[in-house]
Amino acid sequence: MKYVKRNTFIIKHIVAIGLILLILFLLEKFLSGFWLTLLMLFGINIILAISLNITNGWIGFFSVGHGGIMLAGAYAAAFFTLPVSFKEGILGLHLPSFMLHTQLPFLPALLIGGIVGTAIGIVLVLPALRLRGFYFCAGTLGFNIIMETITENIPDITNGAMGLSQFPSYTNIWWVWGIAILLIYVTWVVKKSYIGRAFITIGKNPDLAEHMGINLLKYKVYAFGFSAFFTALGGILWVHLILNLFPKAFDLVLVFEVVAMIVIGGMGSITGSIIGAAIITFFADILAPIEEGFSLFGFNVPRMLGLMTVLIGVLLVVILIKKPDGIMGEKEISQGFFRKFLRTKQS
Amino acid sequence: MNYLLQQIINSLGFGSIIALLAAGYTMTFGLIGLVNFAHGEVFMGGAFTAYFILTILKLPFLLAVLMAIVGSVIIGVALERIAFKPVRGSGMITLFIIGLGASQILRNLTIMLFDPRLKGFAVPDFLKGIYMLGEVMIFKKTLVIFLAVLVICTILIYLVKNTKTGIAMRCISYDTQIAQSLGMNTEKIIIITFIISSALAGFAAILWGYIYGSVNAAMGVYAIVNAFVASVIGGVGNVLGAVVAGYIIAIGGNLFIAFLPPDLVGLRPLFVWIVFFIILIFKPSGLFRANIK
Repeated sequence: MKYVKRNTFIIKHIVAIGLILLILFLLEKFLSGFWLTLLMLFGINIILAISLNITNGWIGFFSVGHGGIMLAGAYAAAFFTLPVSFKEGILGLHLPSFMLHTQLPFLPALLIGGIVGTAIGIVLVLPALRLRGFYFCAGTLGFNIIMETITENIPDITNGAMGLSQFPSYTNIWWVWGIAILLIYVTWVVKKSYIGRAFITIGKNPDLAEHMGINLLKYKVYAFGFSAFFTALGGILWVHLILNLFPKAFDLVLVFEVVAMIVIGGMGSITGSIIGAAIITFFADILAPIEEGFSLFGFNVPRMLGLMTVLIGVLLVVILIKKPDGIMGEKEISQGFFRKFLRTKQS
Repeated sequence: MNYLLQQIINSLGFGSIIALLAAGYTMTFGLIGLVNFAHGEVFMGGAFTAYFILTILKLPFLLAVLMAIVGSVIIGVALERIAFKPVRGSGMITLFIIGLGASQILRNLTIMLFDPRLKGFAVPDFLKGIYMLGEVMIFKKTLVIFLAVLVICTILIYLVKNTKTGIAMRCISYDTQIAQSLGMNTEKIIIITFIISSALAGFAAILWGYIYGSVNAAMGVYAIVNAFVASVIGGVGNVLGAVVAGYIIAIGGNLFIAFLPPDLVGLRPLFVWIVFFIILIFKPSGLFRANIK
C-alpha cells in the first residue's frame, strides 16, 4: 500500500516537471521581444513577492528594507559577472584582484549574490530583536536608505550614483521561471511543515509561540535568511535582465511596488502573492507605454510620467479600505479550496 | 569656534522647518497612532500653492502665506477624510502603508501635472540682507524665520497644554472610548488636529521656499524622514520635545557633515537613521517624556 502511494507521488512529480519544461520550451519558442521580457519580469515579481511575504506575512515583521538586500546581492553578483575589460579597463574599480580578473558564469554568481544577500538579511534580524510592529517597519526603511547612501558614496568600489552597465545578458526564461517555480514549491512544502507552522504562529502571537517552545531567534533567523536569499536572487535576475545597475533603482518606489503586490494579493498567502504580482506587472509593465503619451481617435494624450505609480497607489488604498485582507486573505488556491467553493455555490 | 558657531546658525533655518513639521507630525502620531508619510506631500502641496501665488501670479507676500496654509489644510483634511478615516483603528502598519500609498499618489500626480524640475521661488525684499556678528554671518531671513517659529511654537504649546481643545486632544490620545463616553465630539477634535498639523506644514513650506529659493515635487521626502525621526526622539505626542528634537537633528546633521572629509558629504542622510537606531535601542520612549501618554 505504502509502496504504491510513493510510486504515484514520484510519477506525479515527474509529470509535473515535464509539463512545466514543455510549457517553458514552447513559450520560449513562440514568444519574443516585449512579451518574453514581460514574462520574465512577471517571474521576477513572483520571486520578490513570495520572498517578501515570508517575513511580512508569515512571521509578521513588516519589512520595507528588502530593497537593501536586493542591492547588496545584485552588486555582489555584478562584481563577478561584469566583463574584465569593463571592470579593470574602463572603470578601474578598486576590487580585490581575484574579483577583478575573473568573469564567472551565472550559477556561481547567483550563489555568491544569494549568500551575500542572506548575510545582509540576517543583519535585519538585529532590529527585529528590539523593535516591534511599526518601529521595526521604520527601522527597515532606514536600513534601505542607509544601504543606498553607502553604495552611492563609495565610488571606488561601486562607481557611485553612475552605476554599472555592460552586463552580459544572462537572464533567460529558464533561470527566472526555474527559480520561481522552485520557490513556489519550497514555500508550499515549508508552509505545511513544522517550520512553516512555527513561522505563522510567531506572526499570530509571539508570546504564545515562545510558550509552546518555539525558539524565536532561531526561526526569525531562518525566515529572514530564506527570504533574503530569494530576494537577492530576484535582484540579480532583474539586474541581468535590464542590464543596468545603480543604487537609486532600489529605493522606496521599488519596495512600494513589491509591498503593493503582497498587500493586494493577501498577506501570508502564496497564491495571493502570485495574483498580486500579476496585477502589479500588468499595471507597471503592460500599461507603461501609456505614460509616454499616445493619440486616440484624434485626441493627443500628453506624456504623463508617474501615472502607473499613481494607479498602483490608488489600487492599494482602495483595497486597504474596502478589503483590508487583500484578495486572497490567508487562504490558498488548492484542491480543497475549489471543493469548498463549489460546495458553497451548490447549497 | 567661529566655524562651529557658523554651522549652528546656518542650520537654524532647516531646523525651523523640521521643528514645524515634527510638531504637526507628532500631534497626529500621538492622537490616532497615524504615521503620516503623506505629511511630506501636504508640505509639498503648500509649497506649490505658494509658488503659484508668488512667482506665477506675482501677488503679495502675505496672501501667499495665507494661501499656502489654506492649500495644505485642504490636502491634509481631504487625506484624513478619504484615506485614513475608513481604516482608523486597524493597526499602525495598515495606517503606515496607506500613508505611503497616499504619498506616492500625491507626489507622482504633482510630477505628472507639472514636472520634476526645480521651480524658482520669489523672495520678498525685506528678507534679503546679512548681519555680521564678529566673524559670524547671519542671514536676515534665517533670523526672522527663527523668531517667527519660536513665537508659533510657544502659541502651539500653550494651545495644547492649557486650552480646552488641547486637553480634549490629550484625552483622546489616552483613550478614545473614554473620551467618547465623556461626551466629547472626537471626530471634531481629530479634524481640528489635522487642520493645525497641516497649517504648520503649510507655513513650513513657505519657509522652505525662502531658505532654498526653489521648490520641487520631491521636496517632501527628505524633510518628512527628518521630521519623523525628530518626533520619535522627542517622545511621541510631545510637541515641545518634537520642536527641540527638530532643531537638534538639523544642527547635528550639519555638524556631522562639517567635520567629515569633503568627499563624504553625500553621507548626510545616514545621520538621522544612526540617531534613530541609537534612540530606539537605548531609550525607546524618546529623549523627552511623552506628553500625551
